[in-house]
Amino acid sequence: MDLSVDFMGIKLKNPVIIAAGPWTRNGEMIKKAIQAGAGAVVTETILSELRPTNIRPRLTSNSSGGVQNIRLYSEIELDEWEDEIAIAKSSGGVVIANVLGHTPSEMAYIASRLEKFGADAIELGIASPHGGGIEVLASDSQKIYEITQKVSDSVKIPVMVKMSQGVTNIAKLARSVEKGGASAISAINTIRSILGVDINTGKPFLPTYGGYSGAPIRPIGLAAVATIAQATRLPVCGIGGIETFENVLEYIMLGASAVQIGTAVMLNGYEYINTILTDLSSWMEKNNIQSIDSIKGKALHSLKSFEEIEIEPLESNVYKKCLRESCKDCVSSCLYSAIHKNLQEVYVDPEKCTGCGLCISRCPDRNFRLILKV
Amino acid sequence: MNIRTVAKKAGVSVATISRVLNHPDSVSDATKEHVLCVMKELSYTPNWFARGLNLNKTGVIALVVPDILNPVYTQIAKGVEDVARQRNYNILLCNTEDDEYKERDYIEMFISRRIDGLILSSSFLKGEDLNGIKSQGIPLVLIGRNKEIQGENIVYTDFKAGAYEATKHLLELGYASIAVIIGPKLHPENEEKLEGVELAFAEAGRSFDKKYIVECNNTIEGGMLGARKLLSFDQKPQAIFTFSDILAFGAMETIKADNLRIPEDVALVGFDNIRMSSIVEPKLTTVSQPVHKMGLIAARLLFDIMDNKDGEDMIPQQIYLESKLKIRKSCGHMDRLSEIFD
Repeated sequence: MDLSVDFMGIKLKNPVIIAAGPWTRNGEMIKKAIQAGAGAVVTETILSELRPTNIRPRLTSNSSGGVQNIRLYSEIELDEWEDEIAIAKSSGGVVIANVLGHTPSEMAYIASRLEKFGADAIELGIASPHGGGIEVLASDSQKIYEITQKVSDSVKIPVMVKMSQGVTNIAKLARSVEKGGASAISAINTIRSILGVDINTGKPFLPTYGGYSGAPIRPIGLAAVATIAQATRLPVCGIGGIETFENVLEYIMLGASAVQIGTAVMLNGYEYINTILTDLSSWMEKNNIQSIDSIKGKALHSLKSFEEIEIEPLESNVYKKCLRESCKDCVSSCLYSAIHKNLQEVYVDPEKCTGCGLCISRCPDRNFRLILKV
Repeated sequence: MNIRTVAKKAGVSVATISRVLNHPDSVSDATKEHVLCVMKELSYTPNWFARGLNLNKTGVIALVVPDILNPVYTQIAKGVEDVARQRNYNILLCNTEDDEYKERDYIEMFISRRIDGLILSSSFLKGEDLNGIKSQGIPLVLIGRNKEIQGENIVYTDFKAGAYEATKHLLELGYASIAVIIGPKLHPENEEKLEGVELAFAEAGRSFDKKYIVECNNTIEGGMLGARKLLSFDQKPQAIFTFSDILAFGAMETIKADNLRIPEDVALVGFDNIRMSSIVEPKLTTVSQPVHKMGLIAARLLFDIMDNKDGEDMIPQQIYLESKLKIRKSCGHMDRLSEIFD
């Protein structure tokens, strides 16, 4: 059983990379993440000029595990990253520099400096939903191509392009990145958000639009990764709402070669990496999976077009006894009024049930399943 | 007091004192501490000029700007200084007042003083002059594009594109008459900006009335005079685009003095996005030039050349930085979202 992966030509001891964010804002913190077991660590976004970063407050979270962040970029000067990268790598490990410039030559200049400072790879941070224009830099196919090409030509280390879901056609953009000569694509960046409004003061929780991350964005990240994996031949790094080893596997089965974790580390500390890795390796052992590569893209084969989906005569069936007398979740959410319940007795009307499947996930005890109509 | 006195008192050789001053890493901590202690006791300070001769460097780089009173250049200077300070370098700041002869005089002075590197912003000099400087062994970086110069290390922004965006914005807002207040016309940057204005008019299928071009000195007073002239026309322009923020501040004064409102009576757009443009009332819509960043990157490029001791071949870098329309209040738009994002 082997957790290591080859990602864009770099051997990683495991596929779990720590994403760019305030938790990778300097050498010491990156070093801690490496020591906690991360396969690689991405620096916070580095610019050629500092911008005010620590707006107060700048972080807020909700009960579904979602976080809105309005912190912009690294507060450390470009040239000072030479020392920070040295500190970050003082106990070994792989460091990927996340960089942002607004023209191809500026981006290439920053990337080549970080290559000189010892970064093992570059991630182009062109998809942040806040701090730039209403249209993220990564939404212009020509621009993304020119930037990728110029940076790829200017450095010898691998170049990964971080993409946003806040675009209309991520597949087209991913192909531009591939054409530009990138070594990999990471997706997705945070999603433009307003986490909520304090209805007593009439003000949003944070004073400007921000980036939304955490568990709620995972389904969006999974779809983006599957799309990119199907649109290009580039290795993909899956990002968005990973909280458990199962989530890591979901991304990998949808075509990711590696994943990035950010919010979960921010909320739970670096030690959390170890929990995920331990769980991942026990699962692999239990299921006799020898390597990450062997399951990569496994779920992509089951993604179908609508015309390929076979419509089987399935219907809902209660196969476990309900132990919650007062729970009515299945009844109230049945769109076809097919479910009836009297205390613990649950009954599905086969005449009315159309096999939509919603009751399976609505039932807290998973008492329903779909079976073939007889 | 000289280095020999210190050496004698410290009981070490002159060479050791020299190493403590110039290459402290090559001396043991104990010796270093002892020597520094003796220096303090004797109140000895090294002769920096002589030190420069010994090390074959002076620890000084020069920055040449056309107008030290224009905040654009103070921001460039700040960028250069931010990097130079980290490297323990001092800056010789020279102001040419847009005078080519003054610029040449300064350059002769740099050569005789053996400065370690040179940054020229908005320079008048051409290829052969620049080669002359480099042949004296002085590393060189330029700020601001000069179309006639190829193959140099340069940091620039696109003045034409910036002016085009600003003009397009005013045209889209529907102003029937748009005037421009430009700086001295012979300056290549202003020519580029004028090309941008003309391009936006042409693309919109509109003709640009040349009577609405007013040329003046690039100062607040220049802006006042320029606006005075435009407001004296029978057909006053509905919008004015000035080729710098300081020109806009001048124009603002004149417009207000005439009891006209900005933007209701006359809309105004500047160029540069200097700090004050977000403070004045109404806040000035302007073209943001990454001037501080230009200073930072130019200085970093310069130190890269200076650090390249083994004379490794370096490909000259042309780094283009984006200018961007910064929408605020003075242009009369009603688009709050653009203010937040763009």
